[in-house]
Amino acid sequence: MPLIRPFGLPEFWIILMAAQWTIALSAIAFAGGGLGGLLTALARVSDSRWLRGLSTGFIRLFQGTPLLMQLFLVFFGMNILGLAINPWVAAAVALTLHASAFLGEIWRGCIEAVPSGQREAATALGLRYVNRMRYVVLPQASRIAVAPTVGFLVQLIKGTSLAAIIGFTELTRQGQIINNATFSPFAVFGSVAVIYFMLCWPLSVLARRMEFRFSRSAVR
Amino acid sequence: MTDVTAGAAAADMRGSPDLAVRMEGVNKWYGAFHALKNIELSVQRGERIVICGPSGSGKSTLIRCINQLETIRDGRIVVDGYDLTGSKKNVDLVRQETGMVFQQFNLFPHMTVLENCTLAPMKVRGVSRAEAETTARKYLERVRIPEQADKYPAQLSGGQQQRVAIARALCMNPKIMLFDEPTSALDPEMVKEVLDTMIDLASEGMTMLCVTHEMGFARQVADRVIFMDRGEILEMGTPDAFFGNPQNERLKTFLGQIS
Ligand SMILES: Nc1ncnc2c1ncn2[C@@H]1O[C@H](COP(=O)(O)OP(=O)(O)OP(=O)(O)O)[C@@H](O)[C@H]1O
Ligand SMILES: [Mg+2]
Repeated sequence: MPLIRPFGLPEFWIILMAAQWTIALSAIAFAGGGLGGLLTALARVSDSRWLRGLSTGFIRLFQGTPLLMQLFLVFFGMNILGLAINPWVAAAVALTLHASAFLGEIWRGCIEAVPSGQREAATALGLRYVNRMRYVVLPQASRIAVAPTVGFLVQLIKGTSLAAIIGFTELTRQGQIINNATFSPFAVFGSVAVIYFMLCWPLSVLARRMEFRFSRSAVR
Repeated sequence: MTDVTAGAAAADMRGSPDLAVRMEGVNKWYGAFHALKNIELSVQRGERIVICGPSGSGKSTLIRCINQLETIRDGRIVVDGYDLTGSKKNVDLVRQETGMVFQQFNLFPHMTVLENCTLAPMKVRGVSRAEAETTARKYLERVRIPEQADKYPAQLSGGQQQRVAIARALCMNPKIMLFDEPTSALDPEMVKEVLDTMIDLASEGMTMLCVTHEMGFARQVADRVIFMDRGEILEMGTPDAFFGNPQNERLKTFLGQIS
C-alpha cells in the first residue's frame, strides 16, 4: 500500500508551478495561431479562388473536429512521420493549428466588417494591397477583433488541459498526479479550477476594458 | 515631364496623350446584368463633365471603371495615355493620377484629418512626412478647414468631411478628379460649401468627371453634360443644349422630374 500524503501547501505549490506550462503552451499556440490566423484570414478574403478554397477547407477541418482528436492526430502522426514522440511539441503544433483556424475565421469576419468603401478609398488613392491592408483595413478590423480574440484566448487556455491526455505535464496533468498521491480530488481539482479561473478571468476583464476604450475612440 | 529615355519608352504604351480619358466600346456586366452598354466617351484635358441620370443607370459604374474600381469585360479605357486593358502597372499609375470623391466620404476613421491626407503621398509616392504634411496643410487651407487638421473624421460635420476627402485626393496631385454624388449624403445647408470647393477646383483647370444631380452646378461649371439611362449614354452636350433643347424623350422626362 503506497503512502498517502495529505494535500497541503507544498502540493498546492507544485500544482501552481505547473501553471507555467499551461501559460507557455497557451502563449506559443496564441503567438503561432496569431500569425497562422492572420494568413488564414487574408487567404479567406483574397481574390484567389485557390487560396480561398484552401483556407476554407483548413478552417472547416479544425472547426468540425474535436480538439482532442487534433491533438491525437498530431501526436500519433508525428510517430508515423518517423519523428520522436514528444508531447510538448505535439501539443504546441496541434494547438497552433487549432488557433490558426479559429482565429482565421474570427478575423475574416472582422476584416469583412470593415466597410468596402474604406478599401475602395484606399485603392482609389493608389495604395496597393499590402499598404491597403496594413494601414486601412487591418487597423479597423483589429478594433472589432479585440473582444472575440480574447474570448478565444480564454477558450485556448482551457483547451490546453487536453494536452494532459497525451502526457504533457501542465496544470491539469499535474493535478492528476498530485491527486494520485493524495486522494483528495475535491481539494486538488478545486485548486486546479481556481488557478484556471485566475488565468482566464483577468483576460475577460481586459477584453471588456479595451472594447470600451476603442468604442470611445472610434465613435462614428 | 519625364526624361528623354523614359519618355520614349512610355510613348509605346501611351496613345493620344492629348485626351484625359478615352472609353471605346466599354461593356460591363454584373453577373448576367448588363450595367454598361457600348460606352463611347472622350474627355479632353481640363474638361469638366457632369453625368446625370436615374438611379441604377450606371453612372457610378462608369466613373469607377476609370480608376478600375470596377473591371470591364470588353472595350478599351485609356486614361492620361495609359491603356488600362490588361496592364496592372498602368492601372496602378492611373490610380495615382486620379482622385476620387465618394458619396459616403470614406475617410479613414482611425486616422486624423492630417493622417488621412498624408498616408497616400507617403506610402505611394514615397515623399517624406514633413513634405506630405506641408502639402496636406496647403490643401486643407484651400478647402478652408486648416484648423481641423488634428481632429478625427467623426468630429467633423458632413460638409467638412467631404472637403477633407477632396483635400485628401488633391494631396496626390491628381490630373483627373472623379466625383460620385459628392453632395447627396449631405444636409442641405452643407451642399453649398462642397460645391464651392468643386467650383474652385474647376476654375483652376482640373479635369473633372462629376456624377451629380446639382443642375445649378452643371450649368455653371460643366463643359458637357451626359445623360445616362439603363447603362447607355443617351445624350451628351453643352449645358445650354442639354437643358435648353434636350432631344431624348427619357431625358426630357428626367429633367421634368428633377427641376
Ligand atoms: N456590385 C454589384 N453587383 C451587382 N449589381 C450591381 C453592382 N453594383 C451595381 N450594380 C447594378 O448596376 C446598376 C448600375 O449601378 P450604378 O451604381 O452604376 O448606378 P447609378 O447610376 O450610380 O445609381 P445611383 O444613382 O443609385 O447611384 C444598378 O442596377 C445596380 O443594381
Ligand atoms: Mg451611384
